[in-house]
Amino acid sequence: MDVVLLLQRIFDALFNSAIYSSLALALVIIFRSTGLLNFAQGEMATFSAYIAFVLLAGAAPGVKGGGLASWIGAPLVTPVAIGLAVIIGIGAGAATERVLIRPLRNAPELALVNVTIGILLALNSLMGQWWGTGPRVFPPFFPSSPGDHIDIAGARMRYSTIGAWLVLLALLLLLALLLRYTRAGLAFRAVSIDPVSAALNGIRVGPTLMYGWALAAGLGAIAANMSANSVLLEPTMMVRVLVYAFAAATLGGLDSPKGALVGGVVVGLSQTLIPAYVPFIGFELSVLPALVAMVVVLIVRPAGLFGTQRIERV
Amino acid sequence: MSDDDWPTPMPRPGDDDENQSADTSVFAVFAPPDDPPPDDTTAAESPDETAVVPSGDEDDCEAELALSVRSARQAVPALGSPPASSVGSPVRGLAVPGGADRVVEPRRRIGPLSWFGAALLGVWLVAMPLTSSVTELRQNTQIIVMVLAVLGVNIATGYGGMISLGHGVFVAVGAFAAAYAVDDMALPWIVSILAGAAFAGVIGALVGLPALRIKGIHLALVTLGLAIVFQPLAKRVPAFSGGVSGRAVGAEMVPPSWFGTSRWAEGFYRYLICLAIVGLAIWLTRNIINSRPGRAMRAVRDNDTAAAVYGVNLVASRVSTFAASASLAGLAGALSIVLVPFTSQESFPFQESLVLYATAVLGGLGSIWGSVLGVAIREVFSRLGEFVGEVSGLGPISEFLSLLDEEQFVFGVLLVALTFVFPRGLIGLFNRRRDTPADSAAQNRTQP
Repeated sequence: MDVVLLLQRIFDALFNSAIYSSLALALVIIFRSTGLLNFAQGEMATFSAYIAFVLLAGAAPGVKGGGLASWIGAPLVTPVAIGLAVIIGIGAGAATERVLIRPLRNAPELALVNVTIGILLALNSLMGQWWGTGPRVFPPFFPSSPGDHIDIAGARMRYSTIGAWLVLLALLLLLALLLRYTRAGLAFRAVSIDPVSAALNGIRVGPTLMYGWALAAGLGAIAANMSANSVLLEPTMMVRVLVYAFAAATLGGLDSPKGALVGGVVVGLSQTLIPAYVPFIGFELSVLPALVAMVVVLIVRPAGLFGTQRIERV
Repeated sequence: MSDDDWPTPMPRPGDDDENQSADTSVFAVFAPPDDPPPDDTTAAESPDETAVVPSGDEDDCEAELALSVRSARQAVPALGSPPASSVGSPVRGLAVPGGADRVVEPRRRIGPLSWFGAALLGVWLVAMPLTSSVTELRQNTQIIVMVLAVLGVNIATGYGGMISLGHGVFVAVGAFAAAYAVDDMALPWIVSILAGAAFAGVIGALVGLPALRIKGIHLALVTLGLAIVFQPLAKRVPAFSGGVSGRAVGAEMVPPSWFGTSRWAEGFYRYLICLAIVGLAIWLTRNIINSRPGRAMRAVRDNDTAAAVYGVNLVASRVSTFAASASLAGLAGALSIVLVPFTSQESFPFQESLVLYATAVLGGLGSIWGSVLGVAIREVFSRLGEFVGEVSGLGPISEFLSLLDEEQFVFGVLLVALTFVFPRGLIGLFNRRRDTPADSAAQNRTQP
């Protein structure tokens, strides 16, 4: 086995790992607080990436909403456009919770599945309709010309990989600080642990959950904007990523942020390494091992690696 | 919705018992207020009333509703009483002392709206082939066939309580298997069609196996993953699926010579065959649902622990439910290649599975006619979309109207809207059924 090649593959995989970890973290935040798997998380994130794309493209022909960019004025630089898009994504996430999820707080699981699947379908179709189903070129988030890498033991660690991990770790730190040192964070933790007791202690459960949805939407939006350059921006961009992220979250335990991080790394590595060494899988089928892993974890150890064991009372 | 959020608790595992009454009342937002909760506790306590359903109570159209196990809280007291209370329980051993092992079905009152719908359907089934061109006839037959796929989703999700977001996969598998049987194995058409359904059923049983442990929202996740992974997987087995380019079907179903040889006669023959098979499948499904396995199915959906206590074999029930639902979808796929001699994984992106699911929800889960209605509505919307999508010159309004031509968009929006407006699907307008998943969930919430 070629060690340098293996190392190179691991380095390449680490970029994907960061993306999966971020999206898995977004899923975990919502699952912890609402007990809901947000199937629309990926499409919401893609939508935000498209907004950044529109802001950058300006009033180019065939770009829906280009007027928005020209109304803002001067052509935006990439970080500003992406920043704006992430903020819009956060707002949209909060609005989704307020308008579509909160009224259903006591509805059965099926209703929530229906709503998130409906959002997925509608957004996916809307993006295809407005911006075309074909891939769009998206500017890189980090310097990623051919020379932008450092050499470690003969293998190349690209700046974009390092950047993605720095962003992810910064987000994690920020998240930890938010949850630990702000009132809203304290309320969020209380609601996650026990919404009834939290409500009895005077915490407004609804706005707190909205806060969680905003955080999750922000994480997803950042993940989508970071990866849109390498996977090419298209309406179904995040669909496969969502499966990987779900696999990562399941593997780590659906209610464990630490699990999301570890699961993201494991899934990212396996997604690159399994196709490389198992010919049948190949690149296209690389989503299959993730799915199988997810099923096995759900069957054998539903709580995942770090999740809380759930006890069902009859 | 009011803004004061704090008194209403979020659903959490373990707090069902304490909050059951509160939950049910808050849930009234979700169910029509004129629907009193079903009276099954009294039914369990007074077996005499259960055995013969009073005919005056026709509005309670489903007597077996009282018989399916609702929740552990209600089931467990029933266990304490003599077995007489378990009339029509899914278990053979616990029959009524009188020996009546059969459930007395109440006569169901059919409302005028239902009569109207049925008449409309009947007229359409007769008039449509007579007035259609060859192409239209084929397209309309495809719509009829699609009812089976939607019914498949309905069986798994509505009756079995296993959310399936991946039924497009079974449609595809049925089409591939039937094509393989009729071409590569040179089997007669009718055998090939059944083989397609059977093969899809086997795959469905395999997929149903994880459903033994994986429930609710997690199962939705797994089936969605299946739908997403299907396309690349199908490309890997070209001998079966035709790979990237798809699979053309060589054999053609031709009518006997006395039937006529024109293209229209051919189409009409296929229409009759498809209609007969679809009708037969619906009839069979209805009978299964109203018999022992069907009651077991719903008991497992409503509360698997209680169902197991009653002696339902959970493994057999779940796996066979999923297999049956998959084979219905597979039958739809097999019939589709009778109509269009080509099939490809290209036609089954994951969005297709989701639209199938949306159609089942739209029509109404837990109701066979709901699936028929769902497909009809889907067709109406598609025609309407084509019509208004062409309106131009109205600026932003035309742009919005052209979105209505996007089936996927329309169904996405409808799925969200319906959850708020008609949680039991449009069939709820026709009859006041009390046996949909929305109803049972209102009483007995299961948690992830």
